[in-house]
Amino acid sequence: MHNGQVKATPVVGLVGNPNSGKSSLFNILTGLRQRIGNFPGVTVEKKAGMLSLPGLPTVELIDFPGAYSCYPTSLDERLVVQELTNPEGDLFPDAILYVADITKLDKHLLLFTQLRDLDLPMILVLNMADLMDADGLTVDIPRLSKALEVPVVPVSSRDHRGIAELKEAITDLLRDPNRFRPRQAFFEPGANTRDVLAELRRELPARNDYHALLLTHHAPWLKHIPDATRHQVQEARVRHGFHSLRSQVEETMERYNTFEPIVRGSVRHAGDTSSRSDRIDNVVTHPIFGPILFIALMLLLFQALFAWASVPMDLIEFTFGTLGESIRTTLPAGWFTDLLVDGIVAGLGGVLVFLPQIAILFFFIAILEEVGYLARAAYLFDSLMQRFGLNGRSVVALISGHACAIPAIMSTRTISNWKERLLTILVTPLTSCSARIPVYVILISFAVPPVVYFNGLISLQGLAFAGLYFLGILGAMLSALAFKVILRTPERSFLMLELPEYRIPVWRNVGTTVWQKSKTFVLEAGKIIMIISVILWAASTYGPPADMAAAEAQVTERARAQELSEEQAADLLASERLEASYAGHLGKAIEPVIRPLGYDWKIGIALLTSFAAREVFVGTMATIYSIGSTDDEFRIRERLAEERNPVTNEPVYNPATAWSLLIFYVFAMMCMSTLAVTKRETNSWKWPIVQFVFMTAIAYFGAMAVYQSLS
Amino acid sequence: MPFHVPAAASLFEAGQSGTIDRFTNEYLAGKLLDIGVRPGSRLRVVRKSPFGGSWYVKIDRQCLALRKKELACIMVK
Repeated sequence: MHNGQVKATPVVGLVGNPNSGKSSLFNILTGLRQRIGNFPGVTVEKKAGMLSLPGLPTVELIDFPGAYSCYPTSLDERLVVQELTNPEGDLFPDAILYVADITKLDKHLLLFTQLRDLDLPMILVLNMADLMDADGLTVDIPRLSKALEVPVVPVSSRDHRGIAELKEAITDLLRDPNRFRPRQAFFEPGANTRDVLAELRRELPARNDYHALLLTHHAPWLKHIPDATRHQVQEARVRHGFHSLRSQVEETMERYNTFEPIVRGSVRHAGDTSSRSDRIDNVVTHPIFGPILFIALMLLLFQALFAWASVPMDLIEFTFGTLGESIRTTLPAGWFTDLLVDGIVAGLGGVLVFLPQIAILFFFIAILEEVGYLARAAYLFDSLMQRFGLNGRSVVALISGHACAIPAIMSTRTISNWKERLLTILVTPLTSCSARIPVYVILISFAVPPVVYFNGLISLQGLAFAGLYFLGILGAMLSALAFKVILRTPERSFLMLELPEYRIPVWRNVGTTVWQKSKTFVLEAGKIIMIISVILWAASTYGPPADMAAAEAQVTERARAQELSEEQAADLLASERLEASYAGHLGKAIEPVIRPLGYDWKIGIALLTSFAAREVFVGTMATIYSIGSTDDEFRIRERLAEERNPVTNEPVYNPATAWSLLIFYVFAMMCMSTLAVTKRETNSWKWPIVQFVFMTAIAYFGAMAVYQSLS
Repeated sequence: MPFHVPAAASLFEAGQSGTIDRFTNEYLAGKLLDIGVRPGSRLRVVRKSPFGGSWYVKIDRQCLALRKKELACIMVK
């Protein structure tokens, strides 16, 4: 297996328990040179980065998901076992950095001893070494290293101690992977597994006895086991009365008994390190103050979201407005300038304007996660969530859903119960994500008068804003309840949640999260929005030649007959051309369907394009209403207020239509990326279709009810 | 006040503590062992959650949130 030759691109895996500080270490070792993708065939997030070591080819460092043991209960954990039991796989590491929390060695070494028995070259990295002096914690590193027969390196993600030593240790291990081969296993399979192993040992693609044992346990779901072998294993398991659970429990108990004396011999705790965390938890998880604090935090979050984001947002809008103007004045008029200004610049501005809010939201969520608060929120709301068929961990998804449903849906992977996870995935997009913010902002000004109370402390529009968010949450909870009743599965559900000690956030991790998520948003969502902007520009500029000609002839005639000024004639031409364009035809085609909701064909175009991504709404409005007019595209609100029904001459954007649109946008499933993620996460087309249909149905009938009762 | 006969930890009131004796459910035992809960560990119920149903529990020096059903399979003396 390890022949002393260093591979062209050696793979080093970071493995460890959840909350061991693995990701912090990954960030330090790779900086921003990270690629975030998915592990092949599954949707577990794969973080990979490059690491340069002296005298070695560039090393690929893979951050494996956190796992407690080789007996997985969640998708994330399964992946670790899948890859580490498959020596033929591309991701099989040449060396493992096993990260353990120095204060929790008595628990974190379980998986270590299992991987060690798989005969994988390893380095034990003791994270949070900064706690060594402060809390009177002492670790006898040479003794631990001798007992475990691997190099042991204490490091700290906070003050970066030990990082140089760690890099040296990796270099040495990759050069000579056989240097630290285990001489003795931590665990020898017991009597009741010996028979089944004796039969299967030769049949299975196993490197040693423990590898064979794990394959025997997990053959039913491991992807790299051929079907024929799987059947063979099943038969052998039945024939020898192999009891997987019992064997697992015995193994785990024996492992604890083996490594506990080693830990006790080399680690000394002086004081009770967690008393500060306990005092904080007396308040944070208090039955009364806890929920109050939670609500206060959420209010603070949304307040910050609007207060802090407005300045950079205005700046971005202004920049792109000016850019469009200057392009129009510099370049000669023509289709190319139109494409550039109305299609590309307007589209680009429409993407980047969300960036401040997305960055702030991820900043907050990253801090809450780093500090250890999200686990407390899950504890506080678990039983409430259970009544709606969800899990305490769903709270995390429902909170992050307010930034963007995509990472939120991906965060549900820690929920091991399939039904609870599915319900969370289905209802999370009902929480108002940041893409709805600009739509809300524009429409609320038409729906709610600008009244303020208490000297401007509370505004009616602000209350309406909060109300829409609340409506989204309510919709999510009630939908979950409905699905809970419809879908029935007998699967067992767990909480079993670790509440990590409170820690001051590592700012580098917060920064990395904000950077990665913002980049992903701009690249992924930006691509779709740009494409749609350009298509929309083309569809609203061009139309069936006969219709377009007829529209122009009609305008010329009317301009002559009514003696219109040049500017009036140009505006009339623009609106007639839009009506005759392909987009206009499409809008008119769906008008009968959306008429009961109070929408005209122009809103229809915006709705249709919004189904790709809701943030397109504002861009579409900009594109539709700016054609033929050199108004600043971003002053859409003023433009919409001028829009009148050609028949009745009433304003199109009256409160009834505005409320109806708001309700539609709260509930409708208008995000292709979310549907794609749902498809990936549920591994079937059924659930994205269900999600699309139920959300859009609530949106349609909700909006209809609101319009009909208000108008 | 500690029980002398092993009793399910779900019967504990906030503030009560004891030593884990054994588990009564193999499936949950596997999961609990993985996260470091095992016979011989000190268990203390710290408080109950605001809406009932889940417990804030301290096992050795580790804080965990467990549901009533999960606590019910932990026998403590």
